Amino acid sequence: MAFSFPEEVLEHIFSFVHSDKDRNAVSLVCKSWYEIERCCRRRIFVGNCYAVSPRIVVRRFPEILSLSLKGKPHFADFDLVPEGWGGYVHPWIEVMAEAYPWLEELRLKRMVVTDETLELISRSFKNFKVLILSSCEGFSTDGLAAIAANCRNLRELDLGESEVDDLSGHWLSHFPESCTSLESLNIAYLGLEVNFSALERLVGRCTNLRTLRLNRAVPLDKLSNLLRQAPQLVDLGTGAYSAELHPEVYSKLAATFTCCKKIKSLSGFWDAVPAYLPALYSICSGLTSLNLSYATIQSPDLIKLVSQCHNLQRLWVLDHIEDIGLHAIAASCKYLQELRVFPSDLYGEEPDVFLTEQGLVSVSEGCPNLHSVLYFCRQMSNAALFTIARNRPNMTRFRLCILEPHAPDYLTLKPLDAGFGAIVEQCKYLRRLSLSGLLTDHVFKYIGTHAKRLEMLSVAFAGDSDLGLHHVLSGCTSLRKLEIRDCPFGDKALLANAAKLETMRSLWMSSCSVSFGACKLLGQKMPRLNVEVIDEGGHPESRPDDSPVEKLYIYRTVAGPRFDMPDFVWTMDEESALRLS
Amino acid sequence: MAQESTGSEHSHQVRSSSVYLFMVGSYLQMSEGDMAVIKPEAMKSYIWLQTADGSIQQVEEEVAMFCPMIRQDILTGMGSSKNYTISLPRQVNPAIMSLILDYCRFHQVPGRSNKERKSFDEKFIRMDTKRLCELTSAADSLQLKSLVDLTSRVLARMIEGRTPEEIRETFHLPDDLTEEEKLEPLRNTADDPRIRRLNQLYARKRKELKQKDKLKNVEVEEDRVDERSVDDLLSFINGGDEDSKGVSAAKHKKKNHRRKDQSMDSSSINVNKNHMKSDILSSVCCNGDVNNALMQSLGKTSKVQDVANDTFAPEVEFDDGDIDDELDPAMKEELDREVEDFARILNSEWPERMQEILTSGQERRVVPMSMNGDDSLGRFTSANQAAWCLSVHAETLYQMRNNLRSAYSFRFFEKRLLLRTAVVTIQNAL
Repeated sequence: MAFSFPEEVLEHIFSFVHSDKDRNAVSLVCKSWYEIERCCRRRIFVGNCYAVSPRIVVRRFPEILSLSLKGKPHFADFDLVPEGWGGYVHPWIEVMAEAYPWLEELRLKRMVVTDETLELISRSFKNFKVLILSSCEGFSTDGLAAIAANCRNLRELDLGESEVDDLSGHWLSHFPESCTSLESLNIAYLGLEVNFSALERLVGRCTNLRTLRLNRAVPLDKLSNLLRQAPQLVDLGTGAYSAELHPEVYSKLAATFTCCKKIKSLSGFWDAVPAYLPALYSICSGLTSLNLSYATIQSPDLIKLVSQCHNLQRLWVLDHIEDIGLHAIAASCKYLQELRVFPSDLYGEEPDVFLTEQGLVSVSEGCPNLHSVLYFCRQMSNAALFTIARNRPNMTRFRLCILEPHAPDYLTLKPLDAGFGAIVEQCKYLRRLSLSGLLTDHVFKYIGTHAKRLEMLSVAFAGDSDLGLHHVLSGCTSLRKLEIRDCPFGDKALLANAAKLETMRSLWMSSCSVSFGACKLLGQKMPRLNVEVIDEGGHPESRPDDSPVEKLYIYRTVAGPRFDMPDFVWTMDEESALRLS
Repeated sequence: MAQESTGSEHSHQVRSSSVYLFMVGSYLQMSEGDMAVIKPEAMKSYIWLQTADGSIQQVEEEVAMFCPMIRQDILTGMGSSKNYTISLPRQVNPAIMSLILDYCRFHQVPGRSNKERKSFDEKFIRMDTKRLCELTSAADSLQLKSLVDLTSRVLARMIEGRTPEEIRETFHLPDDLTEEEKLEPLRNTADDPRIRRLNQLYARKRKELKQKDKLKNVEVEEDRVDERSVDDLLSFINGGDEDSKGVSAAKHKKKNHRRKDQSMDSSSINVNKNHMKSDILSSVCCNGDVNNALMQSLGKTSKVQDVANDTFAPEVEFDDGDIDDELDPAMKEELDREVEDFARILNSEWPERMQEILTSGQERRVVPMSMNGDDSLGRFTSANQAAWCLSVHAETLYQMRNNLRSAYSFRFFEKRLLLRTAVVTIQNAL
């Protein structure tokens, strides 16, 4: 006998169930729960904008307030997805404009957003509050002007790392004088100078402003003026952190920072000048997040700064920090959870920074809460990986990028299979892993055997044969995203594990050995997958079936093949397969 | 000692005055805080409550007042005696009422700290799931929001992090979503090209029959139209082999290109049927298990091979707008029921039967109502019917139901016959 509730009671219970995963589970329990859940769902996350059509979403969920959409595959960040591939958000907005006039939040990642889209957004949603555009493109400051002018209740405008066509800095002036609702403004990656007085006035009247990330064009001497208007800031992105050495400017800045007691997160620091860093010392102990990845400061100055940040949880820094800096961090920043070390000189032959695997080992020893790592370096050893794995079994994200492809263990000259094997074996909660260095099929065997919670795997220049891919596809039960480049994986593993692909969000393979024939077959046999062949060298049909495709992007979908592809992308499905055979 | 007695004397005086205030106050709208004064036993008022099973219970007034729903009734004078009880909603049985009263009894005391209340709550909610659910419903019926919140949060915690199966087990819920619905509930069936073609075919049929309706007498027409609709459906099921034989080979090998606004003509209907068949076959081919077996059976008939390799039907757009025939709700219901039955038959029996059919090879029965006498095609016919059935997901059936409901010139009788025929045909194939 079922435990039944009146609808309102179930709705009330569901209102305490928040995560997407849990909501999805609720909707799959039974018909009545499905019906109730869909009516009271308020936020939707669509990890692949082509996996479902906006009409299906609108039909299923009648009252949505918040929508998150992701477009291009992750490897687009590394310029592997050619321009024009897709990810257009306009069709979604058109449908949403009609169905959800009360939509409040839009979070878009790697999508193409046009000025037209932004204008449509600004006109259609009367209570629009949050616009977050991460790594998007296709729009200009004109579109931003429309948002500023028309969205009366705008709370968050975050341009992330989007590419904006900077036409004029005056878009900011389009925020009406009556606008006081802004709580978060991130324009860090805008190129052009914005109208500074408009910015100052805006900051001054938005007393709830918590996040302000400025772009490089805002000079340091103006930073103090802005900060004085907003002592309540919690998250600050400085503009350019350099100026000529004026004691006045310095003391003004230092004094301003002492008034900003609430700042927990700092970023920006373009062109940072070491002499001005001490101005920050007064707020260091309150910092939980520090992004110095644009600061080309050398390690002594970095150490002085970072070793005062005892409460730091997240640190992004260039490899100028060097091993010595990481030792200091291991000693001072005991609450560190996330570390990202970026390369300062990608193409140099001789490293002029002394950053090795020892730095990472040190941090893994000294920071008990460390669970998320992105580390670029030039050498690695199995021994170091064993140590890291042993020290940090709580690791959830481990992305290691050894700059030279096929680089072996520098001590033994053996592949790094065992080291990564130790990572996946010890770190049972690992969700994300990026591999690099010299790797054979063995590492994939370890991954398939142990990495049962792994959701995302990035592979480059690794493996010997199809067996590698087979281990991953057949073993990693939680796998959602797999991206592969330059690996000798061919048809067999892919076809043998075709069913697995329907349980994943997407698979990307570029510069591998998957043949066109296999793509056709896959597309034909699996109607719930879109098999997209991306080939800028002309239609693969013109080459023999067994020739490898340039790039392959496979994703599951209930929306069928898409029709907005450029001429270098082909969807393999039954129709085209029969047409072409 | 002396101090104590003085103290108790003083407090007794205080109590008397508060009692007096209370008695006056019960005729006024006073806040819960005022109400919840500890009174000497002799002066306490009791409220009479009756649960749905008829049992009556006395409860201290201040405790009962904590429930908004009961409070309303008390303030209008109800519950003052055994003969004038407050009837509780049916969700409140005596056991649950006792729990609720415990809750109210504790929380109505104003002096308690948050910590105390939280501690009580944590102990209070330790009960089995069934009881917790009953308690939630009961609290909701009594509008006792704080208790509803408390129990809802607990139930939400029991849901979080669990799989649908686990949740079903916990709450004893039926597993009544179909596989299709679980995949993507409410899939937009019109987006599927196969479904679109099915729709187009139905639309064509409708138009044809409507035209014939106009020309002929109702009763006579019904018979004839019935036959024709059966024929049509069967030949459709059979892949229109008979008709296709007449069509030139050139048509089979027609190059695929989208033709919009194409006018209807019989040859294109046949071409569509063939392409429909090849759609179906391909869709079956997508199903790994059946692939080999089916391909083998297909391979035995060269004509089939042609069709299977043939190009797909062009996407012909039809104007459904002009066909508008209202069905009354009772008929709609009947139709729905029939489609549901149909769906159930397919979904429950199909997978095993399919395997049987395909592995049994030669032993398949030829459909008695088959329109073609060619034995070599008989097997293919069954397989084709099988294929057709495989492709008829629940979605298709919902779409079929929708088709049958809206915009049809088919009369109810004809539609019924169509459905029945389909069921019979498939049952025979099984």
